[in-house]
Amino acid sequence: MADTPKVLEPELQNLQDSSAFANEVSEGRLVTEQMLLNVGPQHPATHGVFRLLATIDGERIVRAEPVVGYMHRGYEKLVEQRDYRQITNLISRMDWLSGINNELPLALALEELMEIEVPERAQYLRVALAEMNRILNHLMFFQSFAAELGAITPTFYAFREREDIQYAMETVTGGRMHFGFFRPGGLKEDVPKGFVDMALASVRKVIKRLPDYEDLLTGNEIFKQRTINIGTLDREVAYSYGVSGPIGRGSSIDMDVRRDEPYLVYDQFDFEVCTGSHGDCFDRFWVLLHEIIESAKIVEQALAGLPPGPIMGKVPRVVEAPKGEVYIRTENPLGELGFYLVSDGGRRPYRIKIRTPSYSNVSALPFVLENTLVADMIAILGSFFFVLGDVDR
Amino acid sequence: MRLEPADALDRVKGALGERVTDARLNHGQVDLTVELDKYVEVVRILRDDIALGCRFFTFLSAIDRSTYKYDDDDQRETGSAGSQNKKGGIEVLVHLYSPDKIWHVNLHVPLDFDAPVCPSITGVFRGAEWHEREAAEMFGIHFTDHPNLTTLYLSEDFEGHPMLKSFKLPARSYVKDWPGAKDPDEAAAAGGR
Amino acid sequence: MIEISLTAWQILVVKLLIILTVVPVGALVGGYVLHKEMAHMQHRLGPMYAGGWHGWAQTLADGIKFAYKEDIIPASADKRVFSLAPAVIFVPVLLLYLVIPIDRNLIVEDLDVGLFFLLAIGSVGSIGVLMAGWSSANKYALIGALRSAGQLIAYELPIVLSAAAVAMLAGTLSLVGIVEAQDWPFILWPPGLGLALFLLFLVGAMAEMSLPPFDMPVAESELITGPFTEYTGMRFIFGFFFAETAHMIVFAAIGTTLFLGGYKPIVPWGPLDVIPGVLWFFVKTSFMVFLLLWIRFSFPRLREDQLQKFAWKFLIPLSLVLILVTGAWILYGP
Repeated sequence: MADTPKVLEPELQNLQDSSAFANEVSEGRLVTEQMLLNVGPQHPATHGVFRLLATIDGERIVRAEPVVGYMHRGYEKLVEQRDYRQITNLISRMDWLSGINNELPLALALEELMEIEVPERAQYLRVALAEMNRILNHLMFFQSFAAELGAITPTFYAFREREDIQYAMETVTGGRMHFGFFRPGGLKEDVPKGFVDMALASVRKVIKRLPDYEDLLTGNEIFKQRTINIGTLDREVAYSYGVSGPIGRGSSIDMDVRRDEPYLVYDQFDFEVCTGSHGDCFDRFWVLLHEIIESAKIVEQALAGLPPGPIMGKVPRVVEAPKGEVYIRTENPLGELGFYLVSDGGRRPYRIKIRTPSYSNVSALPFVLENTLVADMIAILGSFFFVLGDVDR
Repeated sequence: MRLEPADALDRVKGALGERVTDARLNHGQVDLTVELDKYVEVVRILRDDIALGCRFFTFLSAIDRSTYKYDDDDQRETGSAGSQNKKGGIEVLVHLYSPDKIWHVNLHVPLDFDAPVCPSITGVFRGAEWHEREAAEMFGIHFTDHPNLTTLYLSEDFEGHPMLKSFKLPARSYVKDWPGAKDPDEAAAAGGR
Repeated sequence: MIEISLTAWQILVVKLLIILTVVPVGALVGGYVLHKEMAHMQHRLGPMYAGGWHGWAQTLADGIKFAYKEDIIPASADKRVFSLAPAVIFVPVLLLYLVIPIDRNLIVEDLDVGLFFLLAIGSVGSIGVLMAGWSSANKYALIGALRSAGQLIAYELPIVLSAAAVAMLAGTLSLVGIVEAQDWPFILWPPGLGLALFLLFLVGAMAEMSLPPFDMPVAESELITGPFTEYTGMRFIFGFFFAETAHMIVFAAIGTTLFLGGYKPIVPWGPLDVIPGVLWFFVKTSFMVFLLLWIRFSFPRLREDQLQKFAWKFLIPLSLVLILVTGAWILYGP
């Protein structure tokens, strides 16, 4: 058996209480023992090195305790010793599926503190790239959720769609996963000729094929049986854990930073915030799929109305934030990503508290996983859309 | 039904009154400084008061202010509440958000540097459990009444508190020796699994 | 015609050789078909390099690779049971090939109770799965084995009952006799009943072989490989991969024999009689294999309790009803 953490030892002692055991047997009841099952850290269903200590009674989970930290890299300490410009590349490796969205709050926080004006063209391009990355992220989770439930074919369709969008982003930023493109004040450089058409074509292709994917999965009886009313997350509980993003919106939490506190130029675009009403796996998945459509709408509007002009504002040669503290949050594809930046002047931040969405989302797992079946645990883990880099920072 | 920052500040001052030692606006968000004894009560009021309604728990963390460059002028109206705190100790930072009224509040709770003890707010916000565990292991804060104050990220035998300013990150310098056996024979001799 | 007379022992050796060559070759080809079909459904090409033309030697290469893998038995595993389990799973599958008629006179052993033999031997494999899972000393293997045992027991009944209905209609348990008793149109007669029995058999067969959507026991993304997690090298190949592919082919062959008319031509059109029965048999079996694989790659998997509910509350009552209908048809039908 794996090493038992200290917190669970008293529980195990109770299990082996012999007098209670004998009592049960003598009264003719079927006595079962609880088994400690270690899901992970190496497991195909968990996205990365994530460990779940599940105490199971037959096929029912009595309690599940996530053990995180296998990928803790100490971001909050690392950024204290780096220049603001060096941090950009570091933090895009937190939630590696939404690469460019991770760089956004830092740029915005610096612009807020240093009071830099960002030109319109840069804002529009930032929105377009961020939303394209959101589509990439959602397609990835679409296929991973389906694969965990046993449908192995959507994986290849999703990756085929991702390929075109990644290619478009590569022509701009040079990267397919980690971009390093947003700077305080604007962008690193302007987009090449032909990017707008390429990006629009790739996004439109996704939208054209999306109804097929919806039919393939959300219309499938087996899929519905596996996900409807499984892993329900109640709204007030979600609030107290800080659950945001598609998972929160699946529990009818109508929160979206892009609409509530628009940053960049989101207030100029017309898009809807999708919510689900039951808070089960099916609703979370449904919200994920429909957010792809909304993101595509935003990309179309952003690129169609792209104004000409410079892509970098007036930034001093040395990026030094004045004294101050600010909390800037953005809508990462997985939820609310926030940076509480404490600066006491100087080129390095004094402290950045990085509030990552997956951390708060995963902390709600013990509540959701209580009293579910082992097979449902896989469906719930898959529907919780987390990235280990985000959880562990 | 959006609440403007100025109105939010007024409401907060009205609801909390003497319980907070400092209330101000900082970049459009309400900044409060609370002392230890009133801390849990303030959090509870912020969540339960219908006029305030901060039901969303964003995060709980801490800031080690021991090397923070405080200004000499302590009558400033601008800047965050935390930067007015002259103790130079560890400060617990709680950020709450109201999803209906769309306003933010930052709570700064100054703690003693040598013996940082703080009550836990897991009774008010269940999600604080993980955040407090992380703050405890990173800064050395002890949260009383916490249901499960074990290490979250770090291993149990980790020495020190990494996020304190006194903890220096070794830049590829000395790393501790591997505690286990160094070759397969040693491991077999020790009866390894 | 050359008269060949062989002693009983020589005939036995010939029969064994036939089985021991046909089954592995069939499994190899079946494996290749699996890779290619899955690939083309998923917008990919599949094996392309092994052996030259479109990777035809891929499964052969895989088999050779597995042959020289290290044979690991976990330290806390029950060694004898652990080593025996793949044999208990694989040998019954070999035995199933004994009674399949590929042509009127081409059958390894023409048993009068061929169908009974098939159904009886086919269920021995469940013990092997339990042995594999229990002796592995691995919690995931245990969960997989228990799920598998429950599933295999539950889905035996639809297979047995639909096969029994076919035997009732044909009036004999001998497989050759069953094929002879079938006439065109094969599964469309008796109307509705034939199709229902065929679908029942198909669903039961998919669950017997732990194919998706019934692959909870070997749910790859949850239990890695279920009861076979701790197996490596040749044990893994024989207990899991070969058994699964060979099992799939033999169940396709059984399905062809029972429902699709075995070696008879698809339509009783004169000129088609020139084509030997063997070819018809292969065409029909290939179609069944294709169908099984097609369903396999399209669906997510059912949860274990949903699977059991489906079997006990729906399929088994349905099969009992169909037996009654079959009896009524025999007594009062044309």
